[in-house]
Amino acid sequence: MMQTKNAQRWVDRIIIGIMAVLGVFMVLPFAWLFSMSFRAPGEAYKMPPSFLPPNLDFRNYSAVLHSSVPFLQIYWNSLMVAVVVTLGQLITCTLAAFAFARLKFPGRDSIFFVFLVGLMFPAQVTIIPIYLGFAKVGLLNHPIGLALMYLTSSFGIFLVRQFMQSQPKALEEAALMDGAGYFKIFYRISLPQLRPALSALGIITFTQTWNYYFQARVLLEPHEAMTLPIAMDLLRGYMATGNLSVVMAAMSMAVLPVILIFLLAQKLVIEGVTMSGIKS
Amino acid sequence: MQAIARTRSDLEKAQTRAGYLFILPSSILYAVFVLAPVIVTFILSFTYYDPMAGSHWVGLENFQRFFTGDRSLQIFGNTLCFSLFAVTGNVVVGLLLALALNRAMPAFLLYLFRLAYFLPVIIAAAFVSIVWGYFYGDDLGVINYYLVHLGLPSVHWLTSSQTAMMSIVIMDVWKNTGFFMIIFIAALQGVPRNIMDAAIMDGSSYWRRFFRIVLPWISPVVFFAIVYASIGALQVYESIVILTRGGPGDATRSMSIYIVEEAFDNFEIGYAASISVIMTLVILVITTIQLFASRRWVRH
Repeated sequence: MMQTKNAQRWVDRIIIGIMAVLGVFMVLPFAWLFSMSFRAPGEAYKMPPSFLPPNLDFRNYSAVLHSSVPFLQIYWNSLMVAVVVTLGQLITCTLAAFAFARLKFPGRDSIFFVFLVGLMFPAQVTIIPIYLGFAKVGLLNHPIGLALMYLTSSFGIFLVRQFMQSQPKALEEAALMDGAGYFKIFYRISLPQLRPALSALGIITFTQTWNYYFQARVLLEPHEAMTLPIAMDLLRGYMATGNLSVVMAAMSMAVLPVILIFLLAQKLVIEGVTMSGIKS
Repeated sequence: MQAIARTRSDLEKAQTRAGYLFILPSSILYAVFVLAPVIVTFILSFTYYDPMAGSHWVGLENFQRFFTGDRSLQIFGNTLCFSLFAVTGNVVVGLLLALALNRAMPAFLLYLFRLAYFLPVIIAAAFVSIVWGYFYGDDLGVINYYLVHLGLPSVHWLTSSQTAMMSIVIMDVWKNTGFFMIIFIAALQGVPRNIMDAAIMDGSSYWRRFFRIVLPWISPVVFFAIVYASIGALQVYESIVILTRGGPGDATRSMSIYIVEEAFDNFEIGYAASISVIMTLVILVITTIQLFASRRWVRH
């Protein structure tokens, strides 16, 4: 018995060791990214690579801002799209989720089912008509067009509805008896209870929107209209001809918001993203 | 009595009105940006689209073209091949990582591991692909530098049609497996303690317990993970665009890349629409299989 326990302890240690080594490999590319952004451009390609910043010289960062790519405009586009989409989804999804979870009306369940079916359609199957439509109404090459596409989401409605159904509805019923209107009930009673679900939805939506590539690449062609993920490819140049250190400085700035959110709200992000997986 | 009846029906009416009003914004947006485009894409897939000279109906011609062309079939094969390897890799590695973390270990280590393994999940594929592009470089690549230093031959990670797809799969597993790890950790914690204890008392080995008790118990989650991973993998786009641009030759070109090229470079709108429809149908089939299988599934 003693011996098996000892053996067990060794197995545990070895596994922790393996996990630690693998864990280092998981973060190594990010360590490289940040470190290389501080290398002098002339030494960018020198071997061995750095995994710790050699100095704290922000020259490459200012080089990005002064490059031929309108980086600040692009950053603003990304930020604007992500904020508009996040706020939009928080509003539209919560309203719809309230109706689906708390109100009775004809066709409710079939309408909800139609929303759920939307989870199966990839962006690839909607992008062509949206492109043609945007071209017609002049929304092509405007970042706001990308934002419009995602002002509501089946997933968001589903997430908030699930959460709402797990909450007691006694308070809402009491308010109804007192003659309060539905909007007042929604705003005064339901909404304050939804804090956890809404922060999860907000964080997921923000990161997801920040990371969109396929849609942005199709809809936003001129440099001033781009968002960050497609602009990185531009900065890098064809066949990676852009200077490595400068590209990595831009990358550091581009991943910063998402990494900050992740570090500050690690638990919410992991739970939220996992929930986004376990939707069905 | 009559008064009460009237107020009840008034209440119902008010509730109905409120219900439709609350779902109105989402419904309009959903109809405009999801339902209508999907329907239009389906219609377009049966047409030759030409806004100048006039579009016309071509029946199944676009689909026929896809399933008879050498190039399109290779691209279809690439996508299925990528999906097969990426899904297997993500699910198997994710499950192994979850098993490793599902044992007694200090809480702060667990915290750090979860943080490290989940980090790549939330960073855009576009960003990590650019980093990996430099890692995979032939002469200036980080990985080859260390391989050569260890006295090993360098590898043409992205420039050989034999290895390029596998290199993309490796990066994909690195990026996404943390997501599946987290799902599996949650599932493993649901395995009932008393059954496990009984099995341990009976002296059955770790892997025997895993295959006899744990795996059947979490199989619905494993199944879900496979479907979820497949849906993502079939749409693979930016990692390939950034790492190889579909090359060398067509060795890594995926359906998504092909759709964008045909629709927006060649303006073959009808043909591109038919490819998106095929992709959607594959997703639909996989999802339906899961739906039926999970209904019939019985836990032991």
